[in-house]
Amino acid sequence: MNHLKAINKKAARVERATLREPQGRPEPGRGTTEHDVVALQRTGLPQAPHFPVGCSLVFSPGWEADRTGGTAGLCQPVERDLFDCHIGCYWPAQVPDQLNHAPDWTAKCAAAQKDWRKIDLIFP
Amino acid sequence: MSERKLTMSVNVIGWAVGLAVMCATPPAHAQPPTPAATDVAKDEGIPVQNDLVRAKCGSCHRSDDKGRMSRVSYRRATPENWERTIKRMVTLNHAILEPADARSILKYLADHQGLAPDEARPIAFEAEHRMIEYSYTVDKDAADTCSSCHSMARVLSERRTKEEWELLVAMHRGYYPLIDSQPMNGGQGFRRTRPIQTEPGPDGRPPDNRHPMDKALEHLTKTLPLTTPEWSAWSAAMQAPKIVGRWAVVGSQAGKGSIFGQVTVTADPSVPDGFNTETRYTVARSGETITRTGKALVYTGYQWRGRGSSSSAAGSDPSTSSGSSRAQSRDEAAWREVLFVERDWTQMWGRWFTGAYDETGIDVKLTRLSNDPVVLGTSVASLKTGATNQAVKIFGANLPATLRPEDVGFGQGVRVSRIVNARADEIALEVDVAVGAPIGPRDVSVGGTVKAAALVVYDKIDGIRVLPQAGMARVGGNVFPKQLQQFEAVAINYGPDGKPDTADDLTLGLVAVKWSLEEYTATFGDDDIQFVGTLDANGLFTPNVDGPNPKRSGNRNNVGDVWVVAELSSADARQPDRPLRARAQLLVTVPLYMAWFESEGGK
Repeated sequence: MNHLKAINKKAARVERATLREPQGRPEPGRGTTEHDVVALQRTGLPQAPHFPVGCSLVFSPGWEADRTGGTAGLCQPVERDLFDCHIGCYWPAQVPDQLNHAPDWTAKCAAAQKDWRKIDLIFP
Repeated sequence: MSERKLTMSVNVIGWAVGLAVMCATPPAHAQPPTPAATDVAKDEGIPVQNDLVRAKCGSCHRSDDKGRMSRVSYRRATPENWERTIKRMVTLNHAILEPADARSILKYLADHQGLAPDEARPIAFEAEHRMIEYSYTVDKDAADTCSSCHSMARVLSERRTKEEWELLVAMHRGYYPLIDSQPMNGGQGFRRTRPIQTEPGPDGRPPDNRHPMDKALEHLTKTLPLTTPEWSAWSAAMQAPKIVGRWAVVGSQAGKGSIFGQVTVTADPSVPDGFNTETRYTVARSGETITRTGKALVYTGYQWRGRGSSSSAAGSDPSTSSGSSRAQSRDEAAWREVLFVERDWTQMWGRWFTGAYDETGIDVKLTRLSNDPVVLGTSVASLKTGATNQAVKIFGANLPATLRPEDVGFGQGVRVSRIVNARADEIALEVDVAVGAPIGPRDVSVGGTVKAAALVVYDKIDGIRVLPQAGMARVGGNVFPKQLQQFEAVAINYGPDGKPDTADDLTLGLVAVKWSLEEYTATFGDDDIQFVGTLDANGLFTPNVDGPNPKRSGNRNNVGDVWVVAELSSADARQPDRPLRARAQLLVTVPLYMAWFESEGGK
């Protein structure tokens, strides 16, 4: 950033963020006090994230993690997205589907944002 | 298997790997298999010789003249996979089963159509509910097609005929129609959705334009057939396990360190291959002693599935919790046990676990005890050079009650100065470590018994490391349970070569550190750290509640990613004026709405 000067608002924000949060990602596990902007700044193919069995990482975003291994790219809040997941069984391992398994799953939940407490945990 | 679950009606689902619909007009049967496939399958099928299975499953699964039942006889699977299938038959296909019958059927099928030990060994982590990274590199098409939704180990828990593999895919396509075109791995569902390739590949061969599921099927049929030499050998050699007796247990629990104790196994005459257990172990670092009683069944001659609880909570049934208590984690005193009984009946290994998502566990190894003395380990993982009157406990079994200091050895430069107390299972003593004692792993001997590499001698702490390097928690508490994440910090000495990350690095065991969270800055103005939850003084992360949070932009959930930071200020550090720091990534994410992690296999 030494040879660049911010000329619009967005660039100024970038400058502020990078000054506050010096770049350079330390090796995980080695101590550092530096902050760094990581997840959505990566380019190219993401590294394989380190989250284990049960996580659908091949979808973009996944259920537990987005394709960078973080949560910044998830559909949020998750309740907003449930009807799509439920009806289309887009997440068969994470959300019950309406086609066969739990047709009444959201019967008591007219608006997920309001009624999300009425959604049940389903035991396969 | 609880009655409540078995009698649940169609609003309960079963989604996993298993047999397809079998009642009424099963869609899988609507497509008659080719004669060739049928012939092969019939040649291979395993006759069912159990009256209960034939009575309860036979109305849909017809037997042929050789006692082979449709679908059932052409598949082998782990107890967990058979259990999922039986549950699905009840919940989706209207099979009516009493819990006791379901347990008997599960036992018969797992015993007579199970996996051989060598087939199950590589996927032990699946039954152990261990959170690990696992990549199936043998076949990319199979991995993409199957593990986009569930663990590949669930597939590797199966052995099937070609026709059965095809019907399994048909079941998935029937229950989850969208998987045909679901964007797995960048746009490929079960069916090929990309344009047909006409150009030859880099190897000059014509392009393979088959559907991904067809490529996966070819691999599964070839790699995981019903008939294997392993199963032929094991199904003939298998015996009811004779494992009654005393067992020494050595284990390791995240955040707590090593545990040492004993398990007494007695026969449970009420069920075949059933056992009762009494377990008593000590957490070496804290001295805390835990006593549990439990029950277990051994499937297929080697798969121990048990359930234990501390005496005060014995008999409690976590599956009976419902309603508002569902949000709480399961009875914390109830632990499940998954062990692999080695063929020589002298060792068992696996995991004991608990928690709403089975996230809290102890990796254990059990060794059968005779009357010979055994040294299991020590209360400390490391000794510092120059330390005097260092208190150490040695854990074991059948240890001599009268000991002199010279009967106990720690190798060069370490002298036992005093025996404080000696019991058959525990010796308390004090040691002096010479200033110039060579650093490295040390054997500990008591009389004529030795434990190799029981601890290490070190001079300075060169660094610390946070484990696991990547952790995951799930928000909960309002409706769904919380998934916790325990972190721990271990100290490292770079070893005689003084260089980090080399083979001679010494792990010095857990150290008490100052824990904190730092923002993992994924976006500008990232504020996850304010919402995700709290990390306690022992490194246990407890996530915040589930549900939309009106205080966050876009009503986001209390999800986020943060760094978990450990800081150690120690006079033992090589540079004592500079605190040692290390960190790990923590993903705090959304709940699961399907309790696929639940299993009743141990009951």
